Amino acid sequence: MGKLIKIIFLGVLNVVFIWTALFLYSSQAYWVLLLLLLGAALVNFVFISEKAYPYRYLLPATFFMVLLVVYPIVYTVYISLTNYGTGNILSKEQAVAQLQERSILDTEAGNYAYQAYRDGQGQLHFVFTSPGGELFLGYAGGLTPVQEGDPRLVELEGFTELTRADLVRATNEISALSFSLDEGRQLRMRNINSFGVYRQQYEYYPERDELLDLETGTTYRSVQGYFQAPDGTRLTPGFREVIGFQNFRKLFTNPQVTGPFLRVFVWTIQWALLSVGCTFAVGLFLALLLNDPHLRFRRFYRSVLILPYAVPAFISALIWRGLFHTELGVINQILKATIGSGVPWLQDPVWAKVALVILNLWLGFPYMMIVCLGALQSINSEMYEAAVVDGASTWQQFYHITLPLLMVSVAPLLIASFSFNFNNFSVIYLLTRGRPPIVNAQTPAGHTDILISYTYRLAFESGRGVDYGLASAVTLVIFLITGAITFLNFRFTGALEEVRKNV
Amino acid sequence: MKRLATICLVLVLAAVLSLPAAASVPGELLIWTDGERAPVLTEVAKSFVGEYGITVRIQELPFGDIRDNLAIVAPTGEGPDIIIGAHDWLGQLVTDGLIEPIDIEDPSLFLSSGLDAFTWGGQYYGIPYAIESIGLFYNKDLVGEDGVKSFEELIEISEGLQAQGIYGLVLPQPDPYHTFPFFSILGGYVFGMDDQGVLDPLDVGLANEGGVAGFEFFQELMDAGIIARATPYDTMMSLFKEGQAATMMTGPWAFGDVRAAGVNYGFTQIPSYKGQYGKPFLGAQGFMVSSFSENKMLANIFLNEFVATTETMLAIYEGDPRPTAFLPAAEIINEDPDMRGVMEAASTAVPMPAIPAMNSVWTAWSDAIELVINQQSTPKAAIENAVELIVQTIKDSM
Repeated sequence: MGKLIKIIFLGVLNVVFIWTALFLYSSQAYWVLLLLLLGAALVNFVFISEKAYPYRYLLPATFFMVLLVVYPIVYTVYISLTNYGTGNILSKEQAVAQLQERSILDTEAGNYAYQAYRDGQGQLHFVFTSPGGELFLGYAGGLTPVQEGDPRLVELEGFTELTRADLVRATNEISALSFSLDEGRQLRMRNINSFGVYRQQYEYYPERDELLDLETGTTYRSVQGYFQAPDGTRLTPGFREVIGFQNFRKLFTNPQVTGPFLRVFVWTIQWALLSVGCTFAVGLFLALLLNDPHLRFRRFYRSVLILPYAVPAFISALIWRGLFHTELGVINQILKATIGSGVPWLQDPVWAKVALVILNLWLGFPYMMIVCLGALQSINSEMYEAAVVDGASTWQQFYHITLPLLMVSVAPLLIASFSFNFNNFSVIYLLTRGRPPIVNAQTPAGHTDILISYTYRLAFESGRGVDYGLASAVTLVIFLITGAITFLNFRFTGALEEVRKNV
Repeated sequence: MKRLATICLVLVLAAVLSLPAAASVPGELLIWTDGERAPVLTEVAKSFVGEYGITVRIQELPFGDIRDNLAIVAPTGEGPDIIIGAHDWLGQLVTDGLIEPIDIEDPSLFLSSGLDAFTWGGQYYGIPYAIESIGLFYNKDLVGEDGVKSFEELIEISEGLQAQGIYGLVLPQPDPYHTFPFFSILGGYVFGMDDQGVLDPLDVGLANEGGVAGFEFFQELMDAGIIARATPYDTMMSLFKEGQAATMMTGPWAFGDVRAAGVNYGFTQIPSYKGQYGKPFLGAQGFMVSSFSENKMLANIFLNEFVATTETMLAIYEGDPRPTAFLPAAEIINEDPDMRGVMEAASTAVPMPAIPAMNSVWTAWSDAIELVINQQSTPKAAIENAVELIVQTIKDSM
């Protein structure tokens, strides 16, 4: 039975592999195809060979790790080395093809009316009437001037004339045709009713990698993802190109970036520390209360206190934004009624930071509370009994028993929470958008911008539109910073070692 | 082992036989549209099939996703022939090489400002179906049947209302889009035109004499308590709905809310100041043709013959009432006083700049407005600094 399931499973997998392989073959993605075939062979070997048994479980895990973790990182590195972004979306071949296809309509030459006929073999024949009334016979790309009553015109009457509906159905066929009128000028379909006279605008010379403007004689050289004239004018569209470390250079030399970096970085650290510290303190405090067997209605309190966690953070953040409103928010109205004056929550740099920490406290304490509640259960109650016998005070019990034992299981979570808040874009963006703005700022950073929200602005509000290359470079730098801090955290607290000892 | 081989073989054969057809199809149109326009286009598609026997497939996407998905999908050859979209995508889509000029058979059928919005480098890139601009909602019970025509009038009316704790004007803050009429009213602009009629990203005119004067006027009104300070959109809306504000500066998207609240309202253009009307931004939505379409001519025929018709434009309006840019349909639609109001408001509007550099304008501009609202900077200093920052950002990315 088990064997049958295995065989069916493998069969289905192979179907998927072959189906994908054929698809890849037809779209000429040979490198991916090769990888796929290697992978398929590996999967079959692992499932059929008894020796490879443990890999049956390791292989899927590795596969998904590569797909969901390694591949995005590699791709981000690649994009950070390119100029991918607004204006540089297409590949070079596509950009060249588009520019070469570009043509200028000769408006002075006017519109040519036409009739189309299909002969017995299905070939198309055209009769064009120029604005001046001259007749041309068009067939297989060639134009022949003819006079009224020419036998070749009479011959056409034996063919089927295309009706308007036929023409519409044949537009793709007709619009692909071009009839050479004279040196450099072609007759091409302009719209359903007429043909127009066109001149090609650009010619590409692959050996010199240059584009020549046939009208003006200007030569455009391929420079950094654009065809550029000697005077610096660029043709659009540009194309996607590897530009080396330019995005990183831009990041480290641009005063708009480096100027506020330190200030933003310090606040980011403060923000992450305050977030973790406050939520942990409040969460632990509430967990200790709820863990007290003398407390009545514990379940009720516990359910109520978890509620903020159950409401989506996006909704909470927007509600808090309303509560913090200086003139009309509930918080300030209460403050005004009780102590007589409100607080400029979202206008003052310091109060805006306080507001952010309060919001994150609201969003985060239930998580810490749940974690601490679980960890508290695992502490052996005999220790407390022994401590009481030894005459330890409640504080001493907490400080010498509860906290150290709690930290064993909670410390890695605190570090994870630190890294999470370090990049907590959504809370910042939803409550303050990085504001309030800095008076006379030389850069677009606001008082509450953290690294990720600030760099988001740099990449997506750049003067050229969207700059994915720069965004990827920024992501990598932040990745390195967060990685380094997390690594130091683990080393410094020894959190992982503790866990290992306990396992 | 033998059985395994047999099973595999059978399944392989099944797989080969079920190979999918090629994805992009010449001779068949594919349209990307949002949900509001999808039912109408499905009907239009049916009549196209009926007339010419050419299939038109409709694919539904959220409006905001169409632009980004086009950039990803079109270059792979799997994209649509026609998309709907907003005019301010134009700059990005054209510089990316993703959309194609359209041959509009009879431009005189369209509102010229709607066509201007879809014009780039002297060529039409879209067929507009809807336009919108912000204007002035007024509470008839507070300011009278005829509304307010000028800011001078508004100031006079407000003096009487302030005693009852009613604001003269509310608008979303800090929001450059809604505050732009104050900048433009005395001659400020976002980007100037060069001699070829193309917007110049380095000529930012928000801090010119007119821009500063208009911004200072905005501050005066706020300091005088005529404009409510620091109201986000929701707060603004509830002030107007509860009769605590005589007028409200926002766009046609607010009709539903205002009607539901039972306010006795009217809608008209932005008031004048010193004899000049405040120019809001004009937004337009329309149909565009992908550069990677295999059926460009067919797409043009479909748009000119089946979409640019009174029937289709009215159906689009019925599905989602926004003022139309198609004049024959506008005559019918404008019997509705709200729509007439929007057309009036749009008559003084200027198309919101569609060049990609606009991306770096919003935040710095918004910051300047916020600093003035928070009384942390003077209008002149704030907007001059913002413009300096904007120009620097644009220069850096060139």
